[in-house]
Amino acid sequence: MINYFARHIQVLLATIGDMVRSPIATINTILIIAITVLLPMLLYIVVKSAEQISGTWEGRPQISVFLQQDVSDHEAQLIYQEIQLHPTVELAEFVSAAQALEEFRLLTDSATLEQELDFIGGNPLPPSIVLMPSDDASNQAQLDELQNQLLKIEGIESIRLDLEWTQRFSAIVHVVVRVGTLLSSLLAIALILIVGNTIKLLIHNRRDEIEITKLVGGTDTFVRRPFLYYGALFGFMGASIALIFAFVAGALIAEPISQLSSLYQSQSLLYRLSVTEVAVSLGVGTLLGWISARWSVAQHLWKIRPR
Amino acid sequence: MIKLSQISKRYPNGHEALREVSFEIPAGEMVFLAGHSGAGKSTLFKLITRIEKPTSGQIFVDQKNITKLRVSKTPALRREIGVIFQDHKLLMDRTVFDNVALPLIVIGMPHEEIRKRVRAALGKVGLSGKESQKPITLSGGEQQRVGIARAVINRPNILLADEPTGNLDEALSDEIIDIFADFNQVGVTVLIATHDLRQVERLSKRTLHLENGELIGDYRPRKNEEHTSS
Repeated sequence: MINYFARHIQVLLATIGDMVRSPIATINTILIIAITVLLPMLLYIVVKSAEQISGTWEGRPQISVFLQQDVSDHEAQLIYQEIQLHPTVELAEFVSAAQALEEFRLLTDSATLEQELDFIGGNPLPPSIVLMPSDDASNQAQLDELQNQLLKIEGIESIRLDLEWTQRFSAIVHVVVRVGTLLSSLLAIALILIVGNTIKLLIHNRRDEIEITKLVGGTDTFVRRPFLYYGALFGFMGASIALIFAFVAGALIAEPISQLSSLYQSQSLLYRLSVTEVAVSLGVGTLLGWISARWSVAQHLWKIRPR
Repeated sequence: MIKLSQISKRYPNGHEALREVSFEIPAGEMVFLAGHSGAGKSTLFKLITRIEKPTSGQIFVDQKNITKLRVSKTPALRREIGVIFQDHKLLMDRTVFDNVALPLIVIGMPHEEIRKRVRAALGKVGLSGKESQKPITLSGGEQQRVGIARAVINRPNILLADEPTGNLDEALSDEIIDIFADFNQVGVTVLIATHDLRQVERLSKRTLHLENGELIGDYRPRKNEEHTSS
């Protein structure tokens, strides 16, 4: 068993040695793989960042119910209670006309506001109720149903669903995910072809060695092994370089991003890869490299035999 | 040790390289295989080492019928036979050490053991101290010896040599053939293909004669016959 591992380590070291001996070809191949891996990686980070942002909205729609201006406080309280008791409403908050005006004052910060209010002749804002439907009732049909039921309540002027923006955003994210998945699959195939072709060239360059090794009793497994290591190493190194690129890119856009997020009062706009995700990237790179080598070897190695 | 029975080989292009060839070489014997180029000597070696398959007939190596040998068993067969090629088949970009060590590396022998064996084999063929040189820097005769060292490193019971003295002068040829005779002395079965009849006469060993793919003679030297009769 120790001997078996020693042999594998020997092949691994010999393969690294071969790579170092032809540095330009090796670097070219690794860079091509890195760029191929980088694109899906960046897309993944973008999607994750987007999900992170929409996550702060809790992904649930809000419904603003505006009451008629002339309802009394007592009537307003009754409507509020009725809405609170509705089975598909999880949370409801009553905003009186005075509260609404106060909020408006804080947000507008206008010096001439008092004059303008005087001109209008009092508080123009209606009392309202902001409610959040329960989690299991947030699909479109259920929301429409809820909206219809609310409209039947006496004293309600209008209803607004603060939904469109959230929906549009998550729809865009969905499109990006779909396109990204498609693109990643294509790039994975491209990667297999690139590594496969490189391995094919290596096999042809080492034709003599393969032939002679078979002549002196080397098994197919033995002959194949260094090429599989080549593929796996290419994949691993390509994925490593891609990760470095991704982190450098992240560092470069960190400052403008943090300005942006401070504008939107958001904590973190940019998604950071976890240790597990880094490990998975490296693993997937290695595996893809190995698969490509395996595929290439299966196609080309058997043709080379002693004559 | 080697037994051919009714062996014919026809290549896909229609060329009939061997026709109904039968002979048997007992263990420990040294035999020359004589004939012009194109007589079928190389084909015969390719059949014994399973580089080619016979069209018909049976081949036995060390009592085992290799005619229907599975591809996966070919490496094991080749490890039992040391082969020396006319064109040496050395890896020119590797050191002499790496070349000679190859048959041991493929069976996964520990490095320490490999070093000892390579040193011993190179000593036996008179190439001590040339481990780290590239074969390209060696003379033709020296390259041939590297090939011999590689063939014997695995301590095979059978040695096959295809025109080992092809491009060498007489003195060098004698030395090379004598190396084979030495291995034969310690019990290795040796089969040497050559058109160098001088060597055949000098050593007076059994000689198989091939011509146009047919075995036309199996001469046993008188000296041997005298030995057996006395």
